[in-house]
Amino acid sequence: MTTFLSLVLAGVSVGAVYALVALGLNVTFWTTKTLNFGHGSLMMFCAMLMVYFASQGLVLALAAVLSLLVIAAFGIFIERFTVRPALKTNNSMGWVVSTLGFGIVLQGVAAKLFGSQAVAFPSILFDSEDFVTIFGLHVSLQYLVVLGLSVFLVVVLEAFLRLTRWGQAVRAVSHDPELGRVNGMPVNAIIVGSFVLSALLGGAAGLLVSQIGGTVDPAFGFNLVLFGFVAAVVGGMGSSVGALVGGIALGVLSKLIGGYVASAAEQPVAFAILMLMLALRPNGLLAQAEATKA
Amino acid sequence: MLELREVKVSYGAVEAVRGVSLIAKPGTTTAILGANGAGKSSLLRTISGVAPLKGGSIFLNNQDVSKIPAEKRARLGLAHAMEGRRLFRQLTVEENLRLAWSFGTQKTPQPAAIEDIYARFPILKEKSAVQAGYLSGGQQQMVILSCATIRDPSFLLLDEPSLGLAPIIVTQIYEFITSYARRSGATVIIAEQMANLALRVSDRGYVLRRGKFVLEGESRKLLADGVANSLSASYL
Ligand SMILES: Nc1ncnc2c1ncn2[C@@H]1O[C@H](COP(=O)(O)OP(=O)(O)OP(=O)(O)O)[C@@H](O)[C@H]1O
Ligand SMILES: [Mg+2]
Repeated sequence: MTTFLSLVLAGVSVGAVYALVALGLNVTFWTTKTLNFGHGSLMMFCAMLMVYFASQGLVLALAAVLSLLVIAAFGIFIERFTVRPALKTNNSMGWVVSTLGFGIVLQGVAAKLFGSQAVAFPSILFDSEDFVTIFGLHVSLQYLVVLGLSVFLVVVLEAFLRLTRWGQAVRAVSHDPELGRVNGMPVNAIIVGSFVLSALLGGAAGLLVSQIGGTVDPAFGFNLVLFGFVAAVVGGMGSSVGALVGGIALGVLSKLIGGYVASAAEQPVAFAILMLMLALRPNGLLAQAEATKA
Repeated sequence: MLELREVKVSYGAVEAVRGVSLIAKPGTTTAILGANGAGKSSLLRTISGVAPLKGGSIFLNNQDVSKIPAEKRARLGLAHAMEGRRLFRQLTVEENLRLAWSFGTQKTPQPAAIEDIYARFPILKEKSAVQAGYLSGGQQQMVILSCATIRDPSFLLLDEPSLGLAPIIVTQIYEFITSYARRSGATVIIAEQMANLALRVSDRGYVLRRGKFVLEGESRKLLADGVANSLSASYL
């Protein structure tokens, strides 16, 4: 029983990280139906930049804010140069290649600037030794912070989408940007804003994950984005609650299989189950039905 | 006042509008008549700013808006009910109305503006929580017109509001349009293939053929001359 509980807790914790990544991917999907396949590089670059700033003697908080600002600027760049040109032509999938390309270039730039070795990440919020005890189990405080942050962001994003006129505009813009403009919505600003928000979510996730792992290297982030993408699709692309549920489902499934079957089976079996689930619910767990009547 | 000077629209080699000028005064309704492919939609789309203007200029109340983006023109009091049942299908009727109200200058507070629409189209009140994509064609057209007029625009562009609707719904839709034109004092432009219908509710009519005006005049006179009936043969 204790094994089961601790596996579940570990799964929930990693799942919360996947959810954080999935949330970042969702935001650009809301406005443009595109995903930033270079999202992992943004996570990595933010963390490496922060390590660099800290090594130059900056206060940690200032280093974190500065690197997030740089990442936000990357968000603007990605929208302007990798996504907008592709979206000018209907049905172009060019953004897949260009966002992925941007991610790979950024990875190269990071290797050139900071070296390709893993570097130690400073303790910002807490020490990796900090534990709390829940149901008699030791739970890493870091994981709890990530889980808390994911839940908090889900609530904030859902409230924004449902309750504010800007949130409604965001939903509307993805379906018919031209109609949005005719209605007076600043469509370009909304789209750029979504890429900035997505980049910031990625940067923040990068800082948190490196904090947990203790190190960061240029290749960091690629696997995470893959799992974040899976979490988003399983939960229902675009749904914030779905991202959380999908992330946690993926995390718990892999940990349970790793614990009870074999750790080598962790990913293959987890993915087999997810494939089965998607066959039954192709739009994901929490996707909304869309009105398609002509 | 809405003024077009030698307006041109083209898509690559296709010249959809080839130099069109007109002046439409506040409180008047102008009909743009023409067959499929005449360039009616292209003309309206370049006025609202969603199709690029290739030549000439567009003035709203003597302000040159030729280089102003669509969303800013909307905020200057221009509304455009586009062709093709354009609404946010996955949002509810009421969400569509609220969004149409939200961005730009509003003359009526939101609840009052929405109540006013429900009073004019009671069926929309019944359907207020239904996704707009699930409405019938006529009901969708009601939502589109309601969205276009909810901020009391001074310039209202309507692209074939009667298209694909049963006669009884067409009558209802046109009553709504004439009532809006009368009470708002707006400059209204209607693009239509149903020439008789559009000429009956308008003050002036223009016949568009392959991107150029080939005939214009007072709607009453055009009607009396039987233009609508001869249009199909000679002009459309
Ligand atoms: N986006 C576009 N790209 C290329 N050509 C276009 C585009 N939109 C319109 N056209 C062409 O421009 C011309 C005018 O089209 P437009 O839609 O303005 O006509 P219309 O009078 O509104 O016709 P309808 O009554 O069928 O709606 C047509 O030849 C059409 O094929
Ligand atoms: Mg048309």
